[in-house]
Amino acid sequence: MTAPQSSQALRWFAAAIVLANGFFPALWILATSFKNEVELTAKPITWWPENPVLTNYIAAFKDQPLPVYLMNSAIVALLSMALSLFVATLAAYAIARLRLKHRQLILTTIIAVSMFPLVTLMVPLFEIMRGLDLLNSYWALVFPYTVLNLPVCTLVLVSFFQEIPRDLENAAMIDGCTRLGALWRVVVPLAAPGVFTAGTLAFVNAWDEFLLSLSMNSAVAYRTLPVGIQMYQGEYAFPWPTISAALVIGLVPVVIVILLFQERVVSGLTAGGLKG
Amino acid sequence: MRSRLVAALLALLCAWPSLAQDRANLRVFVGGQQRPDIMRELFREYEAANPGVKVKLEVGGASSDLHQKYLNMVLTARDTSIDAFLIDIIRPAQFAAAGWAEPLNAYLGNDLETALGGYLPAYRAANTINGKVIALPALADSLFLYYRKDLLEKYGEEPPKTWPELARIAKKIQAGERNPDLQGLSFQGKAVEGAVCTFLLPYWSQGGEIIRDGRFAFDRAKAEAGLDMWLGMVRDGVAKRNAAEVSTDDTRKEFQAGKVIFGVVWGYGWNHFQKGADTKVSGNVGVTTLPAMPGGEPVSCMGGWNWAVSAFSKQKEEAVKLIRWLSTPYVSKQLAIRGSFHPAFTSVYEDPEVLKAVPWFQDALPVVATARARPITPVYKQVSDALRINTNVVMAGVKTPAQALDEIEQRIARAVRR
Amino acid sequence: MSTRSLRDRMLDPSDRALALLLLSPAIVLILAIVAWPVAKLLANSVMDVRLSQGVPVRFVGLENYAAALADGMFWRAVRNTMIIVVVTVPGALVVGLALALLANMPFRSRGPIRLALLLPWAMPLAFVGLIFAWFFHSEYGIVNDVIRRLGYTPQIWFNSPALTLAAICIATIWKTSSFMALILLAGLQTIPNSLYEAAEVDGASKWTQFREITLPLLVPSMLVALIFRTLTAIQSFDIPFSMPGPGEETQTLAMYIQQQAVDYLDLGYGSAVAVFMFLLSMATTWVYLRYIRGDER
Repeated sequence: MTAPQSSQALRWFAAAIVLANGFFPALWILATSFKNEVELTAKPITWWPENPVLTNYIAAFKDQPLPVYLMNSAIVALLSMALSLFVATLAAYAIARLRLKHRQLILTTIIAVSMFPLVTLMVPLFEIMRGLDLLNSYWALVFPYTVLNLPVCTLVLVSFFQEIPRDLENAAMIDGCTRLGALWRVVVPLAAPGVFTAGTLAFVNAWDEFLLSLSMNSAVAYRTLPVGIQMYQGEYAFPWPTISAALVIGLVPVVIVILLFQERVVSGLTAGGLKG
Repeated sequence: MRSRLVAALLALLCAWPSLAQDRANLRVFVGGQQRPDIMRELFREYEAANPGVKVKLEVGGASSDLHQKYLNMVLTARDTSIDAFLIDIIRPAQFAAAGWAEPLNAYLGNDLETALGGYLPAYRAANTINGKVIALPALADSLFLYYRKDLLEKYGEEPPKTWPELARIAKKIQAGERNPDLQGLSFQGKAVEGAVCTFLLPYWSQGGEIIRDGRFAFDRAKAEAGLDMWLGMVRDGVAKRNAAEVSTDDTRKEFQAGKVIFGVVWGYGWNHFQKGADTKVSGNVGVTTLPAMPGGEPVSCMGGWNWAVSAFSKQKEEAVKLIRWLSTPYVSKQLAIRGSFHPAFTSVYEDPEVLKAVPWFQDALPVVATARARPITPVYKQVSDALRINTNVVMAGVKTPAQALDEIEQRIARAVRR
Repeated sequence: MSTRSLRDRMLDPSDRALALLLLSPAIVLILAIVAWPVAKLLANSVMDVRLSQGVPVRFVGLENYAAALADGMFWRAVRNTMIIVVVTVPGALVVGLALALLANMPFRSRGPIRLALLLPWAMPLAFVGLIFAWFFHSEYGIVNDVIRRLGYTPQIWFNSPALTLAAICIATIWKTSSFMALILLAGLQTIPNSLYEAAEVDGASKWTQFREITLPLLVPSMLVALIFRTLTAIQSFDIPFSMPGPGEETQTLAMYIQQQAVDYLDLGYGSAVAVFMFLLSMATTWVYLRYIRGDER
C-alpha cells in the first residue's frame, strides 16, 4: 500500500512516532548512564545529563566482569545459531523436498516444540544436564537454545526451499553432485536470505534468553549477559546508574547485529518467511 | 653424550611439576559483598603459612538471595569443585537437612566446649543443628538503631527505649524542625530480607516465636500488634508514605543525607554515615539497641556469615583446616580492622587495636549481644518469603494485617508439612 | 524431462533413508531436550520430591495437583498470567498494526524506520524489564515526572498490584509490538496496489479500503504471529520478574514455578504446576488451530 497523496507533514509525523517508540527507551537509558548520583535523584528530572560523567561505565566494568559476560553471550548465541541452522537446514530440506509420508505431521511436531514453555522443562533439563555433567558449560545452554529455535528456523527455511526451482538442483545432480552436495552448493546459497533471517532470529533469541541461563550456569565463568546484568544489584542497593551503563554496553552488540542484518531480516520476513 | 644430557634435562622437566605438586587446591566461594579483596589477602597469608596449599576464590552475586541461588544449584548438582563456602546465618538448618555441609564435630574433637567456647553464644547456637556443627562463624552483624545525636540533644531527649517513645520524640523533633522532608523513622518495608526483621522485631519483643522445638508456633495477636505498630508509624507521619518501597540501602542513603532522625540499619551503615563521601551527618550519629514494644524486651535481629565445608568436597580435611583458621580470633580481628566487619568473638570487641580502628564497636557489642537468630528451619526460604512478602503488602496497604497473617499461617504450614 | 524422472526414480528408494538421516539431528535433540524432560516432569509431578528438607522421595498420586488447585497463590499466578495474555496479545496487535501502517508510508530512507522496529524486538526481555522499572520508579522515574509536570498526582506504581500489572503490560506491549509490526509490514507490502486503485475508482473511503482490503488480507500474517505471541505471553517471566509489585501480588505462573522448583527445591509441586501451564499452552494452540482450520473451510 502506498499513499502518494499523504502530505509531507503526515509523513514526518508518522516517522516521528515510529522513531520515538523504537529509540526512546534506549536513548533514555543512555542519558541515565551519564548522570551522577546527585543528578539522578534530582526533581524535576533532567532530560539530558547536565554534567555528564563516565564513572558509571568505569563502575560497570569494575563491579562485574562485563567482558566475560559479553563473551559468554556471544559464544552461546553463535554456537546455538550455527547448530540451529545446521539442524534446521537438514530437517527443512527433508520436509520441503523429499517424498515423505507424514510431511505435515513432522512439521507440526517440530513446531509443537514451542508449545512447551521453557520454564516447565527447566527442572528436568537441570537434572539431565547434571547427569551429563554439563552444568556450568556452554553446552547446557547451546542445546536447549537450539531446540528452542528449531521451530522458527525450520518454518522459515521450509518456505524458502519451496521457492527454489527443482530444476536447478537436478541440474547440479546431473553434473555429478550428490543430493547433499546439491543441498549445500545450490539450495542453501539460493535460500541465503532465508538462512540469514533464520540465523538472525536464532541469534537474537539465544542472546536474549534469561531464565534458563540463570538456572543452568551459575558460575561466573559461564554467566551470560542478561543474567550478569542482574548481578549489579547488591544485598541492599540497586545502583541504577551503573546498571544503565551496563545496559548500554550490553545493547551495543544487539545494535550491531541488527544494523548488519536489518535488510536481510526484513526482506526475509517479506518473502513470506513467517507465514508458514 | 649429548643425548644423555637431553634425557637428563627431560627427566628433570618431567619431575619438576611433581616436585611442586600442591598438597591441596581449594576452591572457596564468597559473595560479592564480603570484600573479596580482603578475603584474597587472607588466603595468601594462609598459603604462605601452609606450603603446598593453594586457595582459589570464587566470587558470587552481591546479595544473600543471589548467593543462595548459586549454592542451591551447585549443591543440588552435587558439584565437587567447590570445597568451602560462606553461608548466611539463616541457612545452616537447610544445609544440615539437605546434607550439603560436612558436619564438623569429628574434626573439632570431643571437646566442643573448648572449640566453640569463644564465640558469642547466639552464633554458636545458630550453627549447631541437632547437635551437629554445620558451620563456623565468620562475620557477625545485627540491626542497630542509628539516631541523630545532635537533634536529640537539641530537644533534650534521650535515645528511646520503646517504639511509642521513639514516635513521640520523632514527632516532637519533626514539629520543631518544620522540615517536611525530615522523616522521623526509616525502616524496611520492601519485600527484601530486611522486611523479615521488620516483622520479627516487635513480634520477638513481645516474646513471640515462629518455630518452637521444631514446631510451627505462631502468635497471631503479637504479630498483629507488631504490624499495627509499623502502620501507626506511617499513619502518624513518623515514617514516610511509601514505606513499602523502602529497602535497606534506601534507609542508609536517606539517613546519610540527613533526612532521617531514627534509622534501622545493619552495621555497614556506620562507616557510610561517618566517612561516606557525601555524608551530612558525620559526627552526629549515635547508635543503640533497638526499642522494645511496651512491656517487652529490647531485641535485635542477628545477621552474619559462616564458613562451611561442602559435603561433596574431595579435600575435606584440608578444607576444614582452612575454615578453622578463617574462624579464629586472629582472622576475625583482621576482618574487623581492614573491613569493619563485626567479630563473632566477644574477646575481639575488646581488643585495643580493633577499638582503635573501629571505636564504635564498643557501643555495638551490647546490641549484638541482644540479637536473636531468625527462625532456624530447613525451609527458611519459605518462612522468609511468607514474612517479608506479607509485611510488604501490609505496608503497601494492599492487605490488612489480619489477611496477611492468614497467608503467613497458610504458607508456613504448607512449607513445614511432613 | 526423461532424465529427470529417471533420476527421481533412481533416487526413490534412498529417499526415505535420506529423509530419516536428515531429520535425525532434529529428532535426537527434540527427544533429549523436550520429550525426555516432559516425561520426567510428569513423573516428578506425582512424587513428593523436596530436596532442601531431606524428605524421602515417595509416590503421592495426584496430591500435588490437588494441592495446586487448592492453592490461592497458584490461582493468583494463573489470574496474573491471564491478564497479561488478554491485555498484551491484542495490545501488541493493535499497536503493531498502527506502527506497521505508519512505517508503510513512502519515506525517502527506510533504514532508520527499520531500525526503530528492530531494536525493541532485539532488546533482551530482561533489559526491557529493568528499563521500564526505571521509567515507573515512584521518585526518579520519567513517568511520574511527566505526570507531575502535567499537574497530576504521581502514583507509587509498584505499591499497587493493578498499577504494576499495567506497567508490566505496557512494557510487554512495547517489546512485542515491533515484531508484530514487522510481520504485518511484510504482509502489507504483498498487497497489490491495484486493489487500492480499483477501490479508489469505486469511490471507497480510506477507512473502507482499510476494512475491506487491508485487514482481510492481513489475517493470515496475523494468525501465525498471534499464536507465537500468545504462547510467549503465557510464559511471561523476565519482565514481571524485573518489575515486581507489592509482595508477590503480580507473580506469574512461570515465576511461581521458578520459585517452587529453584528457590524452594520442591520439585514435585513445581512439576505439577508446570504441567498445568503446559496444558494451558496446549489448549491455546488447539483453539487457534481450530480457528485457522474453520477459517479455511
